[in-house]
Amino acid sequence: MKVNPIYHQESKASARSFKLPMIVLLFNCVLAVVALLDMYSMITQVRLTAEIQYSSFLGLYVFVAAVEFVLLLFIIPGLTGGSISGERERQTLDLMLTTRLTAADIVFGKLAAGLSTVFLLIVSSFPILSLVFIYGGVTMPDVGLLLLCYVVTAVLVGSVGIFCSAALKRSTVATAAAYAVVLVLVAGTIMVSYLAEGFEEITTLAGSSGPVWPLYLLLCNPAVMFQSVLTGQVGNEEGMALLTPLVGRIRELDLLDGRWWECSMLVQIAMSGAFLWAAVRQVTPRSRRKKGTAGL
Amino acid sequence: MLRIENLKKVFGKTVALDGLNMLVQDGALYGFVGPNGAGKTTTIRTIIGLLTPDEGSVAVDGVYVEQSPRKVMSKIGYVPDSFGVYDNLKVSEYMEFFAACYGITGLKARKRSETLLEQVGLYDKADFYVEGLSRGMKQRLCLARALIHNPLFLIMDEPTAGLDPRTRYEFKEILKELCAQGKTILISSHILPELAEICTDIGVVDQGRMVFEGSMEEILSQINVSCPILISIAGDQSPALRILREHPQVETVSIRGDDILVGFGGDKKDEAALLQSLVEAGVQIYGFVRERRNLETVFMQITDHSGGEVVLSYEG
Repeated sequence: MKVNPIYHQESKASARSFKLPMIVLLFNCVLAVVALLDMYSMITQVRLTAEIQYSSFLGLYVFVAAVEFVLLLFIIPGLTGGSISGERERQTLDLMLTTRLTAADIVFGKLAAGLSTVFLLIVSSFPILSLVFIYGGVTMPDVGLLLLCYVVTAVLVGSVGIFCSAALKRSTVATAAAYAVVLVLVAGTIMVSYLAEGFEEITTLAGSSGPVWPLYLLLCNPAVMFQSVLTGQVGNEEGMALLTPLVGRIRELDLLDGRWWECSMLVQIAMSGAFLWAAVRQVTPRSRRKKGTAGL
Repeated sequence: MLRIENLKKVFGKTVALDGLNMLVQDGALYGFVGPNGAGKTTTIRTIIGLLTPDEGSVAVDGVYVEQSPRKVMSKIGYVPDSFGVYDNLKVSEYMEFFAACYGITGLKARKRSETLLEQVGLYDKADFYVEGLSRGMKQRLCLARALIHNPLFLIMDEPTAGLDPRTRYEFKEILKELCAQGKTILISSHILPELAEICTDIGVVDQGRMVFEGSMEEILSQINVSCPILISIAGDQSPALRILREHPQVETVSIRGDDILVGFGGDKKDEAALLQSLVEAGVQIYGFVRERRNLETVFMQITDHSGGEVVLSYEG
């Protein structure tokens, strides 16, 4: 099987570096500490009150999953934001473009290299996430769905990072831009939705119905997708309190026939595709661009 | 054969290439010379398909870059003015990575890599990290990398910049060897004497135009420069200028500080006669020398826009 040479080279270099084991160690340490502290507080509660609340064990699952999700959102732009701009700074991008590699090979090689680190993090954290199996309440398919949600998020955020890296010359600027875009996707869409909700309350009082469309913006939001998946699994837990009212509203309105997270995943996969297409177009030398093909 | 016709490229208000023409014959070691900002790198980047010309065409071995960039790329090995290396890879890994970029993998890639590393004298460094190589070694590694797919053409953008004399010498020897193996090499540089030593053909580019092109001998013989005479005068220059204006073989006279630069059409006897007439007129001369005719002189003359103050000029 032909392996993308960029992916092969990046994997080799990162496997050799000190950075990768450190990231895996720190990531899992943070998750483990959070999970064990949460567990400890639950057990202490049981000892004090002699009352077992099984829902709180689900809370552990939601809490650990949410922490992992937030950590991923922080790590991925850092991993991918400097990938192509770094090649440009080293002046190796031009060399690659004079070989048989296409711009698409470069972009997908870089994305695959970045995501392989992220997948390593996701897989390595699985034992911590599995703590919840001690008490039950969450099934393997539930965890599988959660991991799928992580993967879709990783691909979207990774694509954003790659796009910023392809579009901007300096790695620091590209990484900062990737964080900014992710912030807009996560916080920006929530803000717009809350503003629209407020506007709706006013218009409802005035006798007309308010707009629902801003809620559809949340389809682009990986955090809402994540919350929606969790809510479907464990009910309205307070994993991400800020999102609970919005997800509740989506469920209340029964938007997209209750298939919110499925649609959200599709939208985000499509967005990832768009970001990657734009990245390929940015990397392709103008002389090789053909309308609509972007050097693929 | 590499043929460039009427190449034009404008960046904003800057005209980088202004109708450049170039012809590099098969097997040539072509020196592409020009001052900084003349358009050398723009030309090279256009040849390798990283820039699109506003007008004109580039054909490598009969294939137009704009029509089939990938086909052209397979015929060209490119060495940029920077190293373009990965410090965290070993020398052999670096070579094999670029081999894979050209679709050469496995044993074939390893063998090709070993052969080239031997050719550039880095075989014993194959297991060293690139980070640990000297500047000269990195440059040789880049050369080996550019040859990994056995290209017909080798295009090098100021490859010897920043190298010490010994490394430059070794580098030139490798280029001569490659040329003897049948590679066509285009090398851009502003270190002119070096190019004069190794190049078979030369092209001088200035302000985006090819101002001279041909074999080394042709250039030296065709250029109608009549290397100027540098006359150093102590004191008043006006008597000397008066004599020079009246002299029939003086073509141009320029003043550079205390010196007068004279374009002179005569032979050695005429030079002696001119000197004698100046001395007899009481001009205090402490220097009278015909500048040496070499590539540096030619280049300076072609690309010198500031020059001195031209106070006299004759036609014919």
